[in-house]
Order: sequence, then structure tokens, then C-alpha cells
Amino acid sequence: MDPYLVSVLSNIGMISFIALSAYLLLLTGEISFGQQAYFAISAYGSGIATAMWGWPFWAGLLWGATLAGLAATLVAIPTLRLRGLYFSIATLAFAEMVRLVFEIFTYQVEIDGELVGPDGSDGFRDIRYIYDSNVTAFEYMLVIYGLLALVLIGFFVLERARLGSVFRMIGEDPMLTEMQGLNATAYKVLAAAMAGVIAGIGGGLYAHLTTYVEPKIFNVMLGVHSLAYGLIGGLGTALGPLLGVGIDIGFLESIRAISGYRMIVFGGLVAVLLIIRPRGILDEATVHWLRRRWRRWIHAQD
Amino acid sequence: MLELKVLSKHFGGVRAVDDLSLAVEKGQIFGLIGPNGSGKSTTVNLICGVFPVTSGRVLLDGKDITRAQPHQTLAAGIARTFQNIRLFGQLTVWQNLWVAQNGLEDRQRENFLRRWMSGNRRARESVEELLEFSGLADKRDALARNLAFGEQRRLELARALSAKPKLLLLDEPAAGMNLEEVGALDDRLRKIQDRGVTILLVEHVMDLVMGVTDRIAVLNFGKKIAEGTPAEIQDDPAVQEAYLGGAGGRRAAAAG
Repeated sequence: MDPYLVSVLSNIGMISFIALSAYLLLLTGEISFGQQAYFAISAYGSGIATAMWGWPFWAGLLWGATLAGLAATLVAIPTLRLRGLYFSIATLAFAEMVRLVFEIFTYQVEIDGELVGPDGSDGFRDIRYIYDSNVTAFEYMLVIYGLLALVLIGFFVLERARLGSVFRMIGEDPMLTEMQGLNATAYKVLAAAMAGVIAGIGGGLYAHLTTYVEPKIFNVMLGVHSLAYGLIGGLGTALGPLLGVGIDIGFLESIRAISGYRMIVFGGLVAVLLIIRPRGILDEATVHWLRRRWRRWIHAQD
Repeated sequence: MLELKVLSKHFGGVRAVDDLSLAVEKGQIFGLIGPNGSGKSTTVNLICGVFPVTSGRVLLDGKDITRAQPHQTLAAGIARTFQNIRLFGQLTVWQNLWVAQNGLEDRQRENFLRRWMSGNRRARESVEELLEFSGLADKRDALARNLAFGEQRRLELARALSAKPKLLLLDEPAAGMNLEEVGALDDRLRKIQDRGVTILLVEHVMDLVMGVTDRIAVLNFGKKIAEGTPAEIQDDPAVQEAYLGGAGGRRAAAAG
């Protein structure tokens, strides 16, 4: 496979995790500008585990995702008491705080005569586990998509389960959800924790793909993009944010002729869609319609 | 069953509910009527825990639920409908009923995983039964927001029943209905009563209230001005005055 294509596809896969993470919170009606914080926490956490502590890749990834989930839970408990805009501001502030902490975070050990570990704003080099294990870029891409498939299956199960409906109920009318006997705040904390883990998986994969992370990657633009993916692609199904990522990275960023105008086109796209399709291309009504069509088609086959 | 003890709610200087005491017996359909702004909906909201009370107590089967949160009052056995219909428009009719099974009985029967995955067969059967009861069986896969007005009202009532409540609070369920629909509602309320559910009915449509209730309390400016059987209420001079603002024909008062 063409190396450029592999790198684009790997990027799409990794960014899909953070897009799904923001999407999960959007389902519960919360707009988070701060999912990049959990992406960053896991990128650093899993990198430290494999490069400095000698852990195997999977253990490092699990550790990173767990850290991200814990951080998300701790942040969610106080901030989800805030409503609407205030929650968004709080997530933004927290993510910037995390980034600034990584700007000064230095923790290095000597391995084979070389210093390894995060070095403040110079970043964290030599997260070489994948590189040293002779995993090719193509194989690593398969790892990314394998995990993405697992997360997507999780989302599809969730959508069919009561829990998924509860998340959507909270997004539509939290007070009414409370009056259905459900503690909306507790469910939001659960959603935030799950979103943190999902962003964390992406972060761990990212660190091991690039072998190098630095704090400035995890700036607000990453959070804004991950939020926009769900809003563009649609909030009716977990495939919506993936469509958003595909449009942005697969199309706008990767086609070189237009890549210079990426931000202009992307911003315009968000603005236009918010007006004509406020809940994205694959919104609930479209998904519902497609599902009915599909069911009728299945019936017709019998 | 339900007891309100000198219950008050003040919004700033406005006494929306003022020293209200009443007792609803088990199995009754209890009517709560009064002119606009007399505190009926506020009373419902106080019972459900939507607003904190200013003073007084709410007892359900002798248990104090004054400070219960909305999600706790449902678990305690109180379900409600709304004056302006509130449904989850993005969910289907079936899902609206399915996710509302959060009453005490369901919580005890199903374990955590079951509750949040699919629910068991009995849960699905009870949705089917409610779809039949409300005449919504052929609309099960429609999104709630695409239903006609009357269907939305029926779905809201079915959803409240989905929690298998002991007490049902209905906030103007007949608002916007035509005579035929009111007749069907009357019928449905009696069937619900036959299942052993107690009903507190807030309503303006006097044909319904006078026909279906066992007992009625009348509010005016947050205070209870009368209580009695439908016949007693129709003849009560204080009630006539509240509705007509002075001396007036009793027939007009009865017609609301």
C-alpha cells in the first residue's frame, strides 16, 4: 500500500477516536472543547509506560486510556453541575491547563546512556516501542482500525441499549429525564468517563505512531475540530463523526491542491451545516429513515 | 395515600401555594381545579420535587418525600404528565415507553446490566401492553415528534404508566382535546383507576372533572377554598365567586 495513503488512513483512524469521544458527550447535550486533554494525558501516560518503564504496548495503551478515563471522571464531577456554555468554558480551561502542565512537565530517566522522557516544551521523544518491534506502518494501521472497529461495535450496542437512549434523552431534555426517575448528572459523569477512555485510546495510538509528542499538538484547535466532526457528520449515529473526520482529513487536508485552504473551507462548512442541518449530515431523522428503509428491504427479501 | 401538610411555595412575594393541606385516598381520582394562576401546576411540581418547597410537607403512604429529587419521586411511586406535552421527540414511541420503566418494581426485578442493555422479556411485554392500551400499536416505530397532538397526549399518559406508579399526577390531560377525545380519556382514566392507580387530576375541562372524579379540591390564589364531592363543589358559593369574580350564575361556574 502507498505509504502516503497509509499515513492518511492512520491519521483518520486516530482522530476518529477523539471525534467519537466528543460525539458521546454531544449525545448527552454537552459541548466539550476539552477532549484533547484526555488524548494528551494518554499519549504521555502510555508513552511513559512503554518507553521508560519497559511495559509492553497493550499494557501501556490500557494504562493511558485508564488514566484518561479517571481524569475525565474527576473533571466531570464538578463541571457537569455547570450548564451549557459554562461547562464548555470549564472543559476548555481544563484542557489548556493540562497543556500548560505538560509544557513544564519534565521526568526523564537514562536508558542506554540516553535521557528518555517528557522534557517540558521540548516534548517527549523516542516512544519507539512500535518502531523497535518492527511493526510496519501498514500493520499499525490495522491495529488502529481494529481498535476503532471495537469502539464502533461498542457504540452500536450502546445505541440499541437503553443506556444509549438515556444519553439521548438527557441531550434532549435533562429535566424530563430526571422526572423519568433517572439521575441525569450521574449518567453524564458516566458518559464523560467513557468519552475520556475513548479519547485516551486515540492518544496512546497517536504517541506510538509518531514516536514524538509535544504539548502544543494538544491545543484548542484539536478540541474544536473533534467537536466539529460530530456536528458536520451528524449526531444520529456513531458513523456521523467518522464521516466528519473523513471529510476533513481525507479530503480537505490530504488533497494537496486544496490543503492550503483547509481551514477556510472547514470553517465555512461548519457554518453552512449549522444553518441548514443543525444536527449534521447523518442526523437522527435521516438515520431513522434509513433504518426503516433497511428494515422494509429486509422484509421484502423474506 | 398522598398527604400535603400546610404546603407553601413563595416565589419572591408571590404566594403561589399558600398553606395547602389535602389528603388523597388510595384508589381515588382526586380533582384539583381553580382559575388560571391559582397554583395547581405549582402544586404538582412541588409533589414531584421540581421546586424546593418553602414550608410544609409532602407524604406518600406516610413517608416524607418533601425533599426528594425528581428522579427519586418517580422511584417512590409518583409519575406525571405535563400541561404542555413533553416527550423525547427524537426517540420512537416504543423507545419512549421502554426507557420510562424506572419505577421501584422494575429496579428491583432487573439487575444492572439487564436494565441498561435490553431489559428482559417482561419489560418488552409491558411496553406492548401499554401500546395496546393507548391505541398506539401501529405507531410504535414513529418518532414521537411526528405524532399527531392527540397521539402525543396518549403517549405521555402511557409513558407515565410505564413506571408502574402508585400515584399518577395528570396536569391538564384534556387541554386541546375535542369532545370525542375527552370521552375516550374519561374512559381511559377509569380503566387506570381499576388497575389500582390513584390519580390526582389537574384540569380545566369541567365535563371531565365533574364526571370522573371522586373528590375535588378548589384552589384560588394558592389557597384551598373548597373541597368535597363533585356535586358539593358545583353548589359551593365560594367556588362560584372564585370563577366568576363575584355573584354569578351557578350554571356558568359549573361549566367552568
